[in-house]
Amino acid sequence: MTTATARPRSRRALPREGDFRWVLLWGVPLRVMHWLAAASIVVLAVTGLYIGKPYFIAGGDTADHFLMGRVRFVHFVAGAVLVMTGIVRIYWLFAGNRFERWHALFPVSAKAIRHMATQAWTYLTVTPEKAPRYLGHNPLQQMSYTSLYLVAIVEVVTGFALYGQSNPSGIFYEAFNWIGPLLGGMPNVRFVHHTLTWVFAIYVPIHIYLAMRADVLEHDSTISSIISGGRMVPPEERFEDD
Amino acid sequence: MFSSLAHPWTAGESLGEHLERRGVSRRDFLEFCGGLCAVLGLGKAAGVRMAEALQAVKRPSVVWIQLQECTGCVESVIRTAEPTIGNLVLDTISLDFSHTLMAAAGHQAEEALQTAMAENMGQYLLIVTGSVPLNDGGVYLTIAGRTARTILEEAAAGAAAVIAVGACAHWGSVQAARPNPTGAVGVSDIIKDKPVLNIAGCPPIGDVVTATVAHYLMFGRLPATDGDGRPLFAYGARIHDQCPRRANFDAGQFVEQFDDDNARKAWCLYHVGCKGPATFSPCPIFQWNGGTDWPIGAGHPCIGCTERNFWDTMSPFYDRLPDVGGFGIEQNVDLIGAALAAGATAGVATHAVMTAMHQRKLRRELPVMDAPGAGNVPPSTTPSGKE
Repeated sequence: MTTATARPRSRRALPREGDFRWVLLWGVPLRVMHWLAAASIVVLAVTGLYIGKPYFIAGGDTADHFLMGRVRFVHFVAGAVLVMTGIVRIYWLFAGNRFERWHALFPVSAKAIRHMATQAWTYLTVTPEKAPRYLGHNPLQQMSYTSLYLVAIVEVVTGFALYGQSNPSGIFYEAFNWIGPLLGGMPNVRFVHHTLTWVFAIYVPIHIYLAMRADVLEHDSTISSIISGGRMVPPEERFEDD
Repeated sequence: MFSSLAHPWTAGESLGEHLERRGVSRRDFLEFCGGLCAVLGLGKAAGVRMAEALQAVKRPSVVWIQLQECTGCVESVIRTAEPTIGNLVLDTISLDFSHTLMAAAGHQAEEALQTAMAENMGQYLLIVTGSVPLNDGGVYLTIAGRTARTILEEAAAGAAAVIAVGACAHWGSVQAARPNPTGAVGVSDIIKDKPVLNIAGCPPIGDVVTATVAHYLMFGRLPATDGDGRPLFAYGARIHDQCPRRANFDAGQFVEQFDDDNARKAWCLYHVGCKGPATFSPCPIFQWNGGTDWPIGAGHPCIGCTERNFWDTMSPFYDRLPDVGGFGIEQNVDLIGAALAAGATAGVATHAVMTAMHQRKLRRELPVMDAPGAGNVPPSTTPSGKE
């Protein structure tokens, strides 16, 4: 079928045709949570930057405006959505398939750790055909997504600590008032909460680019997998995590 | 109005009798007690009970020691345009020993302290202002040849309760700010075996001190405190949530510079660094100097002086975010963040171009005779530039 003269590594530069198999990677809960989290993070970043530095000033009569009040409300609702997606994700770490389970959070085996380095190297040297092949997340992806989970957790925890201050007899204050002393005062909590926003702002373009790049290079509907749940791969192709 | 010199306390006199002799009418005193009850959140009916309890007090012994501090707290408590009954009560009960206020000096002063402690062992109320320097054996503060730590430990040993007044006694205040050369700490860092109540602030509001002492005299115990030992009746709510300018915050109306139009309209000071959202204090309600004014009322942002480590964590006082590490770059965290995000975007765009060039090169390496449809689509049919 395939050309005898073309080297396999070159072949991958071209779209395939012929038989494909569809591999289900991401269950419905994971896909729904991905998009809810994506939307809430965008809303949280935009409203959060306004709360941190109000760049619109409402003129006129005070009684006619509730700008900061509304922005804070939207921020808190979006935060609640993000926390909800986190709770479902934690449940899905135990209920999901093998690509979604907690084993897939970070590379453990020596081979996976080696592949993480290889993956990074192929990004740096722009040699995608040398990258190890994975169906689910490759080890570098696992590390980067899990790191983002950790950043999100810090954001949520510091956010609750800041939120709890409005009601010192409330449950959020009781549950999160250890954060302030831990970080050396509430202004530091605010600083961490504020600064980590930019991690998301830096992360998003890289994430979107790498997803699009993989989709274009691999010709295996990578982007579609976070909508449809699966990838189209040639039946003969071997993957590290197949 | 109520001169303390004209009518010194006589032995065996109760506080009620003493105040009467000094011209405080029962009506005035009830009014004062009602006000204190409101401060403590006790309800109106408790006013009469408090009046009875306070009147019956035989001169309680209060030892007020002053350590590493600026005496501003004492000033805050005693200095008003007209002495109030509260000042009088506090003034009267705290006469046993006070470094600043007592007439005695030298050996006489030391003797007064030793006598007050010995006579009321286990019963006196110890009020402390000022921090305790610990570095180099505590040499940075010695009184009569003894270190602050020794003085404090000795005074606290026989005290029924300890009240730390002011930020210095609370956690060390400005002398404990980085790099804290004298190793200054607060009272609760030294005294571990009995409850220490912290009346936070630099300086704290005098009414809070009076109300706390009144609470102790009435109930025989210190009021309920938060996690940092501060009495909840005073430090149970944020400035931000009691602020008269909160409506402007919610509306999105902010002062951008201290002399702009918005400042004249008394809009919210959040933009110019107000720390009200992180500060628990009764300032908006109690205010200073007999309810004359308070910082935000005068157009200055809150600097968060009732919070632990506020010199380090709340500064720069006119910026929203702290100056972590003292580099000053944190003021521009948004600029740096936006630059990094833009850099990441530019980086991935560059990477995309490099990837496209690489793919094009790989495709050129494919043999020309590579038949169409034989497993691969020939390069010519791939839309160029899309990869």
